[in-house]
Amino acid sequence: MNTQTLFKVIGTVLLYLFLQVFIVRNLVFFEVAFCFVYISVILFLPSNTPVSAVLLIAFLAGLSVDLFYNTAGMHASASLLLAFLRSYIIKVLFPTKGLDTELVISLDGMGMERFIRYIVILTFIHHVYLFFLEAGSFNYFLNTSLKVVASVMFTSVVTFLLHVYFKSLQNT
Amino acid sequence: MSQLFGILYRIRHFFMFLFLQIACFYLISKNSVYWDVTFFNSTNSAVAKSLRISQNVREFMNLGKVNDQLALENKKLREELTKSNELTALKEVGYKPDSNMAERFDFLVAKVISSTENLTDNYITIDKGTKHGIKPGMGVICPQGVVGQVMSCNEDFSRVSSILHSNFQVSSEILSKKLRKEEVTALGIGKWGGTNPSIMQLTTVDRFKPVSKGDSVVTSIQNSIFPPKIMIGRISKISASPSEAFYDINVRLSTDFSSLVYVYVVNNKLIEKQNQVEAKPVN
Repeated sequence: MNTQTLFKVIGTVLLYLFLQVFIVRNLVFFEVAFCFVYISVILFLPSNTPVSAVLLIAFLAGLSVDLFYNTAGMHASASLLLAFLRSYIIKVLFPTKGLDTELVISLDGMGMERFIRYIVILTFIHHVYLFFLEAGSFNYFLNTSLKVVASVMFTSVVTFLLHVYFKSLQNT
Repeated sequence: MSQLFGILYRIRHFFMFLFLQIACFYLISKNSVYWDVTFFNSTNSAVAKSLRISQNVREFMNLGKVNDQLALENKKLREELTKSNELTALKEVGYKPDSNMAERFDFLVAKVISSTENLTDNYITIDKGTKHGIKPGMGVICPQGVVGQVMSCNEDFSRVSSILHSNFQVSSEILSKKLRKEEVTALGIGKWGGTNPSIMQLTTVDRFKPVSKGDSVVTSIQNSIFPPKIMIGRISKISASPSEAFYDINVRLSTDFSSLVYVYVVNNKLIEKQNQVEAKPVN
């Protein structure tokens, strides 16, 4: 990883954290749909990033979100899980590509259908883990499941749109 | 031996994952057990400062609403004043209010700089701390009703666990004309059910007391952190199964947690003395 990509990654992390903390944190639909758009940081890291770097970035990003949500460790734990499973999911979802170093994680590099599938699956894993960890038990199972489903939809749509938007900004 | 190291090397990422995950769970457990975590919550002043910026924007948008609240509160204070003037006139019951006891509560205005209302355990951060005389354990109210209890503070900021918290309980009383006429009091324990941020459950209210939908629920007199008769909400649903001794009551909370701006921290000056008496073992 050269210096240029390093700065790009740091910039993306800061941008998404800013969005998460100052804007998206205030958006909650019907008290069930939350948006955790900061996971895009982990989703759209280049696929050849070493796993240890992905884990570290996920941990730090999650921890900084935790500071603002008053939930010490929960977001960090969920995004760690996401970072750890990411490489395996890429391998399972896109086996035809062979070596995962060839894959470019973006709308152009994957195609619409596979890109959406990738976002939704990873978001789902993150949200299920996060919400059940936050609830602390299975007592409010239906309520928590509703939160998960609504939030997965919300986060996926926002993640997708933001990705497309930032890509188009880069191209112009 | 080299094979063993080979295996260990191949799953090194898993070890790193495990290690960081353990760190996370350490933080989680620490946050829920101790009431004064200093770094990982919004009492941390760097975080609190940036939260305050974002809250300032929201405040500006809510200015109209705040003015309404203040006006409403002034009105209520005026009403209270006249009521208390009248009350001092009649002393037929024989109870002499001790001035020390009557003046045991004083209030401190604080501004909310961040709040949540959709989690299982909800917290509010306010901009007053130990420097201003706030201590953990004090009650917090707002013009519309009860808000919560101070959980941890540093010099400038405090974190309040709101009534929308899975461990919070408030001793409450139901007020209605019927109850007053029959001269009975209906006391109960209010606890948040964890799902809807505007509904709270009221338990241990005797099933044979004349309680009905729409009655107001206030903090009871057997309450050391809140002054008596602070609004909690109105009864929205009431049911009782014949085999049980208590009602199942749902209370619609009067506090709107999403638009909180100013809150009052309640300081009970006699709480230490009260606790002293209550802590003495019975012989």
